Amino acid sequence: MASIFSADLFAKPAMRYIAYAVMAMLLSVVHVVMLKYVAVQSVTPDLLLILVIWAALAEGQFIGTLVGFGAGLLYDVASGDVLGSNALAKTVAGFVAGYFFKENMALVTIGSARFLLIVTLCAFVHNLLYFFFYVQPMEVSFWSFFLIYGVATTLYTSVAAVFPMLYVNRQKDW
Amino acid sequence: MRRFIEFVVRYKNYITLTTLVVMSFALMSFGELSRLGGFRAVIVGSIGWVQSAFAWVPNPVALKSENASLRELNLQLSIESARFRQAMVENGRLRKMLQLPQHTEMPLIATDVIGKTTTELRNFATINRGTEGGIVEGMACITDAGLVGMIVGTSPKYGVIRLLHNRDTRIAARVYRSNVDGIIQWEGEEQISLKDVPRTADVKVGDLVLTSRFSSRFPSNIVIGYVTSVTDEENSLFRKILVEPAVDFSSLSQVFVIDWLPDPERIALEDSLMRRPSTERRR
Repeated sequence: MASIFSADLFAKPAMRYIAYAVMAMLLSVVHVVMLKYVAVQSVTPDLLLILVIWAALAEGQFIGTLVGFGAGLLYDVASGDVLGSNALAKTVAGFVAGYFFKENMALVTIGSARFLLIVTLCAFVHNLLYFFFYVQPMEVSFWSFFLIYGVATTLYTSVAAVFPMLYVNRQKDW
Repeated sequence: MRRFIEFVVRYKNYITLTTLVVMSFALMSFGELSRLGGFRAVIVGSIGWVQSAFAWVPNPVALKSENASLRELNLQLSIESARFRQAMVENGRLRKMLQLPQHTEMPLIATDVIGKTTTELRNFATINRGTEGGIVEGMACITDAGLVGMIVGTSPKYGVIRLLHNRDTRIAARVYRSNVDGIIQWEGEEQISLKDVPRTADVKVGDLVLTSRFSSRFPSNIVIGYVTSVTDEENSLFRKILVEPAVDFSSLSQVFVIDWLPDPERIALEDSLMRRPSTERRR
């Protein structure tokens, strides 16, 4: 991704936004169709959330929030979930990730362990919101449900974020 | 006007966040995707097409589980086959004696599962038949073991089943041995729960749980599962009953859709009562 984004083709913001949209569509389909192969006790990493955080760190809070909403809405439609639930959680996660935006320092942040901490924090906030609305039709305690699924999903997403971090770290021409 | 523009530019991040959060809440109040009608069919069709394209990819965990469950099922079936032959003879004799009306078996539509979304607590399965194959939203799905779920989305060629392990599952059920009624729900655990059963009710571990004749969505007497745990919680009038589904969802490959739909008049009536405000109902 680092080499892709440093290429001339993606120097223009519009091209990068199109790339985010295409990635969001691809990841939505991958989530629904392929991620069951890496599921551990029904828990999977949230690849779309990693994309949202990437966008927020690379483009800033405003774009991160918008990408979060768009990616979340796309995933709600693709997965058959309650419309707006992922959009809400990812919008807020994108906004939170935007606080860590530093001009021209995106790849430094993404290529370091700091990226994992940001992903963990944003995934925690994301899952807190998502599972709060998820358990509403159920007669279960939110905290007991969140401690099982919310925390597990947060940790798995953080583990998955190691791959983009290592990839960017190895392209240290920035 | 200039001040307003400056204000918007200065706080655009917060304004965007607030707007998008409000939009998300508006969409959530809009409800399930099924209300999008034709658009839903396009999504179901597209995802179904992609899932069928990747259906050949083996899932080793599921295959191992399937082998184990098939061996177990084979053993059970051979035992039950012998019992069944004996029961048929006895049943025929008893029916004749009591002159009971012959039970009409409902027609079944055989389908293959081409995709399962059992990740991140979204438990759906996609089947290779849709409206062109006679599948309609609201139909119940079973296997030889028992109840699988209900059709909640269709396109011309594909259908989506909401499995038992789903937060929206609500099934009127009864314990076969003691005729105790309850509601089957899923609460995020591996097993499903039989709710609203009073502490005085006679329910034991191992009891068979079937769909109730009171169910307005499912035909009665379909096997749901077996009671695995009965506990009385403090400060509760009800028992906590866990039920192991009879169907092994990890190895689900073929399902039968029951060509039967609930009475729409009954559902409309019950839904209208559910929607009525509680104060009005109390009147």
